[in-house]
Amino acid sequence: MTHVLAHPLAGQVLALASPGAMGTGEKVAFWVLGIIALGCAIAMVAARNAMHSALFLVVTMFCLGIFYIIQAGPFIGMAQIIVYTGAIMMLFLFVLMLVGRDVSDSLIETLRGQRTAGILVGLGLAGLLGGGIARALGSIDAKGLEQANATHGGNVPGLAALMFTRYVFAFEVTSALLITAAVGAMILAHVQRNGEKKTQKEQSRERFAEGNHPAPKAGPGVFAHSNSVATPAILPDGTRSARSISPLVEPRELTAEDTRPKDTLTGGGNQ
Amino acid sequence: MTPTYYLVLSAALFCVGAVGVLIRRNAIVVFMSVELMLNAGNLALVTFARINGSLDGQIMAFFVMVVAAAEVVVGLAIIMSIFRTRRSASVDDSNLLKY
Amino acid sequence: MNPVLAADITLPHINYGAIAPILILLGMACVGVLAEAFLPRTLRYPVQVLVSLVAQVAGLATIIGLALSNYAKKPTLTAGDALAVDGPGLFLQGAVLVLGIVATLLIAERSVERGGAFVAQAAVTAGSEADAEQARRQPSQTEIFPLSLFALGGMMLFVSANDLLTMFVALEVFSLPLYLMCALARRRRLLSQEAAVKYFLLGAFSSAFFVYGIAMLYGFAGSVKFHDIAVAAISSGKSDLLMFIGLAMLAIGLLFKAAAVPFHVWTPDVYQGAPTPVTALMASCTKVAAFGGILRIFYVAFLDSRWDWRPVIGVIAVLTMVIGAILAVTQTDIKRLLAYSSIANAGYVLTGVLAMQKDGISSSLFYLVTYGFTVLAAFGLVTLVRDQDGEATHLSRWAGLGRKAPVLAGVFTFLMLSFAGIPLTSGFTGKFAVFSAALGGGQTTLVIFGVLSSVLLAFPYLRVVVLMYLQEPAADAPTVAVPGALTSAALAIGAIVTLLLGVWPSVLLDVANSAAQFVG
Repeated sequence: MTHVLAHPLAGQVLALASPGAMGTGEKVAFWVLGIIALGCAIAMVAARNAMHSALFLVVTMFCLGIFYIIQAGPFIGMAQIIVYTGAIMMLFLFVLMLVGRDVSDSLIETLRGQRTAGILVGLGLAGLLGGGIARALGSIDAKGLEQANATHGGNVPGLAALMFTRYVFAFEVTSALLITAAVGAMILAHVQRNGEKKTQKEQSRERFAEGNHPAPKAGPGVFAHSNSVATPAILPDGTRSARSISPLVEPRELTAEDTRPKDTLTGGGNQ
Repeated sequence: MTPTYYLVLSAALFCVGAVGVLIRRNAIVVFMSVELMLNAGNLALVTFARINGSLDGQIMAFFVMVVAAAEVVVGLAIIMSIFRTRRSASVDDSNLLKY
Repeated sequence: MNPVLAADITLPHINYGAIAPILILLGMACVGVLAEAFLPRTLRYPVQVLVSLVAQVAGLATIIGLALSNYAKKPTLTAGDALAVDGPGLFLQGAVLVLGIVATLLIAERSVERGGAFVAQAAVTAGSEADAEQARRQPSQTEIFPLSLFALGGMMLFVSANDLLTMFVALEVFSLPLYLMCALARRRRLLSQEAAVKYFLLGAFSSAFFVYGIAMLYGFAGSVKFHDIAVAAISSGKSDLLMFIGLAMLAIGLLFKAAAVPFHVWTPDVYQGAPTPVTALMASCTKVAAFGGILRIFYVAFLDSRWDWRPVIGVIAVLTMVIGAILAVTQTDIKRLLAYSSIANAGYVLTGVLAMQKDGISSSLFYLVTYGFTVLAAFGLVTLVRDQDGEATHLSRWAGLGRKAPVLAGVFTFLMLSFAGIPLTSGFTGKFAVFSAALGGGQTTLVIFGVLSSVLLAFPYLRVVVLMYLQEPAADAPTVAVPGALTSAALAIGAIVTLLLGVWPSVLLDVANSAAQFVG
């Protein structure tokens, strides 16, 4: 990878980036990709379906990756595409698929006017930030990265030189982050099995052991007046079976309202 | 035209992300909006690297990526665990905690 | 490999001795992770407690050694100027560790709640049958110990980072374990997970602001070292506007961690939902770390531009003190009450910070330690008042505790008096120190608001005291658990230090004074 980036590709890519003002090619790329990036970012926030949001964000991040390459950062651009669009966003998509892709926002605003207020705050912030930056920098001349990239014989060696000198401690400490992330994911996702798994033979013995009921448990009651899972089934002898409902569900007595005839045959509504 | 345009674009992306955090109620979409804000920060860092003529900005963008990757793992694990508990990932469902 | 490359890169000199405390903590955290992987289940708890305490005590000993060998007087920069080993840095590292040891005692307690305050297997779905089973039988998850070591190591790095990038990485190193630890309560797991999600999303939001602030300051100064930013603030050719945008964004990220008012909304929810020992850790150590970072940034990078930003941060300090106190009055849950009180206390520290002179540093350092010990003991006592659902945190449940448990009620009353700033407690000496420093720095308005806010804040504290002594206990009043050895030790340390620093503050104030010189 070092060789690829250090020699032919980096050479071509760096030729794209002019030091100070933007060249024609870069201008075209900026307007085309910039509009796509901003449009997709807005679409990401506005999309109702979380899946669409993730895909819009992938496009935005891809455009930013190309911007990095244009701005004389081939390594960081490739890392953006590989790490962000390739790994991080795929993890998002994976989790979205796991939790169910139809997870979307309710249309009801819980705080009235929150959406409008949020958008107004955002517009205000954008005006302040964008206006402030534009005013502070104006038409500043960029120094360009030709010299910095050439010092160590290319962009990647230049980055390596910085990472292992000035930023070496921060680099080492990121390992603590990665360990924390791995340990955290293990804690929250890994269920330990207690004891050995039972063999089929043992399970079968257990089922027919003294005092156990070998047949499947009765299902919860399905009656004309209630099909709730909280309604216990009635056994042939008329008693209610506690085995038919989950221990997590509170069994409940039926109220008069529950047992009232619902006129399902005549189609009568609730009077 | 100067690279300042990239910075204005990055400010716009940052604000779009901030609006997303403020108005969306789905925890995963809120988190994606935060990622957009981090990306806007990265674009600003890379552009300033070019304006200042030093590679430090690119290195910092790289560190932000590493941190974001670790953060995503932890964040999605937490969101997954609460989702398994309540089978929904909406921030407003956090009704137990009130002001 | 390019031969030229290898030749012209030289690794910067790293003074391993000077950064040994951080290395010990992070290294022992890795040992803890390995112990988790290779030790049998029964051995893990004693080994982890041992590793955790040994790491912190060794770290503390190293810090004291460094301070005695004059690092405080002759500060140095090391690891390519990424880390500063100076008086405030060593003091804050020591404070993080001293408070961390007490918090670890609370985390390690296993007799108050059978099996400890943490869930046995976080991956088991909350509310399921398997979950009820593990809540009854299985002991706590022991990964909590290496996670807390990582958090403490990150905090120590955060207070001695000398550039914004190292500071950002350290911020995340101490935040990620805290997000995870919030989600691991044994009882009320949904509440705990919600607290973790809320803390995580808002924390990530604030670190995005931090990153954007770093970008702006890099654009302004061409470097992220604090010293270079300070130089650029005087002599940069670029517009100051860029610097102020950067400073504002950076301040949002930092004030979020310190829980100052516009950025405090997470605090009560997270403090309430997190397991109480973790809440104690956050209220004491995280606050020290956050203010350590704020002090270093304001006093090293932005000292010369203070006339421009001090009024803005002053407004935030006033809002923090006043709103924290007002909202504390309305609370009905003891953990939320302590959360709002911690918000108001952040305002008092900020008042000390804004003095912008040497005794501003020393008084803030002193205040952070006094507050940390008192709040640790207070949360430690909260873990003891229990009913069959776990901790009984609603204030009405605390009625009549003075008769049922005179010792607990007595200690809690003492801590409340300290929070209220009654003389002979560390709360009084701490407030006296920060307010007199702020007066010396010409911040009279802040001090007036600070005194008003502490008078207001005395009401909720005294209300708890009145509730405990003057009301009849309810028929189903919660029981008061007998604290185990670890909790007893933590409570004793917290209460004794609160008394000691109230009676004899000069012990610590002198140390803080001699440490109050940042290296630029």
